[in-house]
Amino acid sequence: MKQKTDVLQGTLALMVLKTLDVLGPLHGYGIARRIEQISGDVLAVNQGTLYPVLLRLEHEGAIASEWGASENNRRARFYRLTREGRKQLQVETQGWEQTAAIIEKFFAVKTGDLS
Amino acid sequence: MKSLKRFFKRLFNSAARRIQEERLREEIAEHIALQTEENLRDGLSSVEARRQAMLKFGGVEAMKQDYRAERGLPFFENLLGDLRNALRTISRMPGLAAVIILSLAIGIGVNTTILSWIQLIMLQPLPAVSGALNFLVVEPRTDTGGYPGASWLEYRALQMQLPALRDLVAFEMVPFNVGEKGQTERTHGQLVSGNYFSALGLKPAIGRFIRPEEVERTGTEPVVVISYDYWQTRFRGAPEVVGQKLRVNEHDLTVIGVAPRGFQGTMLPLKFELWAPATMTPALLGGARDLQDRTSRAFSLIGILRLGATREEAQTEFSTAMTQHARDYPEASAGITGEILPFWKAPRGPQRMLMTGLAILQGVMLLLLLAVCGNTANLMLARGSTRQREMAVRVALGAGRWRIVSLVLSENMLLALFGTGLGVALAVWGTTALRVAPMIGAFPIQFQTRVDGLTLAFAILLGVACGLIFSAAPAVHLARLDPQEGLREVSNTPPRSRARKVLMAAEVGLAMVVLIAAALFLQSFRSARQTDPRFRPEGVLLASYDLSGRNPNEASEREFAARLLERLRSLPDVEDAAIATNVPLDLHGIPARTFTVEGRVRTEPGQDRATTNTVTPGYFKVMGIPLVEGNDFAEMRDKAAPAQAIVNEEFVRRYLNGADAIGRRIQTRAGSFAIIGVARNAVYNSFGEPPQPAVYFSYRDVPAMQGELHLKTRSGNETALTSEARAVLRDVDPMLPLYDVRTFPQHIERNLYLRRIPARMFVVLGPLLLGLAAIGIYAVVSYAVARRTKEIGLRLAFGATSGRVVLQIIRENLGVIIWGTAIGWLLALVISLRAIPKGAVDVPVFIGVPAILLSVATLACWIPARRASRIDPMAALRHE
Repeated sequence: MKQKTDVLQGTLALMVLKTLDVLGPLHGYGIARRIEQISGDVLAVNQGTLYPVLLRLEHEGAIASEWGASENNRRARFYRLTREGRKQLQVETQGWEQTAAIIEKFFAVKTGDLS
Repeated sequence: MKSLKRFFKRLFNSAARRIQEERLREEIAEHIALQTEENLRDGLSSVEARRQAMLKFGGVEAMKQDYRAERGLPFFENLLGDLRNALRTISRMPGLAAVIILSLAIGIGVNTTILSWIQLIMLQPLPAVSGALNFLVVEPRTDTGGYPGASWLEYRALQMQLPALRDLVAFEMVPFNVGEKGQTERTHGQLVSGNYFSALGLKPAIGRFIRPEEVERTGTEPVVVISYDYWQTRFRGAPEVVGQKLRVNEHDLTVIGVAPRGFQGTMLPLKFELWAPATMTPALLGGARDLQDRTSRAFSLIGILRLGATREEAQTEFSTAMTQHARDYPEASAGITGEILPFWKAPRGPQRMLMTGLAILQGVMLLLLLAVCGNTANLMLARGSTRQREMAVRVALGAGRWRIVSLVLSENMLLALFGTGLGVALAVWGTTALRVAPMIGAFPIQFQTRVDGLTLAFAILLGVACGLIFSAAPAVHLARLDPQEGLREVSNTPPRSRARKVLMAAEVGLAMVVLIAAALFLQSFRSARQTDPRFRPEGVLLASYDLSGRNPNEASEREFAARLLERLRSLPDVEDAAIATNVPLDLHGIPARTFTVEGRVRTEPGQDRATTNTVTPGYFKVMGIPLVEGNDFAEMRDKAAPAQAIVNEEFVRRYLNGADAIGRRIQTRAGSFAIIGVARNAVYNSFGEPPQPAVYFSYRDVPAMQGELHLKTRSGNETALTSEARAVLRDVDPMLPLYDVRTFPQHIERNLYLRRIPARMFVVLGPLLLGLAAIGIYAVVSYAVARRTKEIGLRLAFGATSGRVVLQIIRENLGVIIWGTAIGWLLALVISLRAIPKGAVDVPVFIGVPAILLSVATLACWIPARRASRIDPMAALRHE
């Protein structure tokens, strides 16, 4: 149960960083929408779990936030990627791609290949 | 780096909590608003749009919790919250909190004080001396198990013979008369070896210390070192004191220095004021032969190990040396071996007497503290069950088990903390009170107890342990609570908590053990006092005189004693008078001497020894010791009679196999004596000692410089004789002071003083413990009764009499209490049988203590029960 959350949290952070990298400054709802659009059901429910992740990233200095006006002119908190966040994104993207590649190879291997 | 940054952010956030909370709330609101608009655009109804938005967002509170956990430092925030909550809870129960804190404080305070006392004796046997623990006691030991001390010549030889010791120090305790004739003041000092101060590593407050060369030859330098206190009180701390003359035992001694503050000599807890070279002994003690006489074992020895040497090495060297002494000087050292022991194991001296009492006391006090914990646990448990609902609500709202435990823990720890604080304050007061030096008769005693790091750590450890002990039960109880049941439970059904009853029983059992231990201790102390000393101290006045310093010889000493006795006997109120060199039941004991007796051949190695006292004719009459055979000594001025001795029954039994003693001769160093009588056995050194062989010599044959006057009154009012006795002495010798005047019973009290300190504490603490047990029972019963108000009201409404209700409540609780009492009683019985194997079980104690405890317990049940039975049934039924 906890394990799953951790993985989700890790990937969620990466998704947030990538979203902000691609789309520029966004508010929480915007990030949630974007992730939902791309990933489907990962964030279809429990959109709220996004906020603790945002806070952690902010504490780590990967993103910064400030108040701004939303599309309907209400006060909203806008998040943007910092220089440090961009670096982190690069590092993590690389790491992720490596991991993904390894995992992919594993799945590609058939029992017959090893004998 | 990153985690550090996060930590500081979190710390900051913890402080700015409210602003953060507001930000989150706003963000959530905005998120949901945007989602709702989106849903509206998708064609949902406004209500449904909002509902779907909320559903999609997920559990707001759970998310908030995650968010908070991410934001701040949950552990510290929770702790702070718990403490705040605990403070509030405690302030809502001031009475209960006061009882708990006060009883804890007493328990911790008393324990800490006793520990500081034990620590002083064990860890700081030489106040003001750093590294006192490195010192060892070097004690010659006789084959009969006595510790006679060392002679000066033996000491000088041992200095060479024990290379494992870096320094070997000798000292002798002596009473001094300081001041001019006629207005002397009695002070105590030590005659010390030349390396005394250097070996102890002391630095003088001013001036210098005694130099080794000043203790080389007899009577070289009449110098003296004074104590810091003496300097302050007698010389007002004036630096000119160095070089001044001090008249001591009618000799002028030059003050050469002042000992450092706090130094009180090397015989804890005695406090000495003066230190003079040991070579001054003959001059200061009127020609005492302590320096040449090997049988005069007046000195105590302590030593410090050379770097790298072990105690075992020193012990081997010491044993070898003592064997050699025994061979070379059989008349003085035959059968004497030796032991080298750490200071706290010192086989003689007051600290030995204290240590046993203190160790028992500490044990009992720790048990008492445990009882306090039991009490507190019970009270907290009782309170805890009123809070079942509160806790159930907390659990239902999502508080984890651990949060509940930490909540309970923080409350109890806070109580324990307060108790510890107050306890430390008590201990500071207690140790200060102990420092005040009381006089035991002529001897000043001082304990330099104080609360230091170690004792403070002990107090805190006790406090934390107590906190944990009495939190455990309620915490476990509440954490195991099922929220559904806790909420459903209506408070009029009595919660029958087994834990509470078990605790109550345990506490009563503990109280039982401690009370019996206290009673047994007191009983043994009292029976020691009531033991027949086998002489009659009533109506006897004791006083000392000292002819040292007037160059007496045997003839003048004898004549002085004879004249004094004649004059005293002529006083109308004096039935009889006598002089002796020793008084039984003295703090230092009576010397034992070696001898050979005609008609006995000793088969085992070593020499026969017997307690010796030199007395004038009339002594046995004054003391009420009957002569079972033969006659009293010849008159003081009788020049014709041969040298005489009187022995006691034990002497005859042990050394003469019960044969006829009269007419046999005893040979000692002082000469040959004919046995002319046999006296009944008496007590010599302590109550309860096995019969000791004793020899009495006559003052006529061996007169002494110092004497103890024994005056038996006709009227029984011995104190009235004091001024008359002084007047008589002034007539005989106008300048001689009469000192240490006391009645014989007072003298005996002195002997018991050190044993009485722990006994007195028991007298105070026994009732205290009983009180604690009563409070515990009272609290538990009154709480349980309060919970059952409705049930009791119902019973009363259905016609139960209040008497029946009371009886039922008492019966329920007393059952548990009796169980506890019985277990405690059995435990105490086992302990007593183990501890005093041959002693009979003290029946009155084993019946009396449970009787008292049970009556107090019944009373503690009865009071709340009666109050409950007095309620108006209608009011009770409307309760809740």
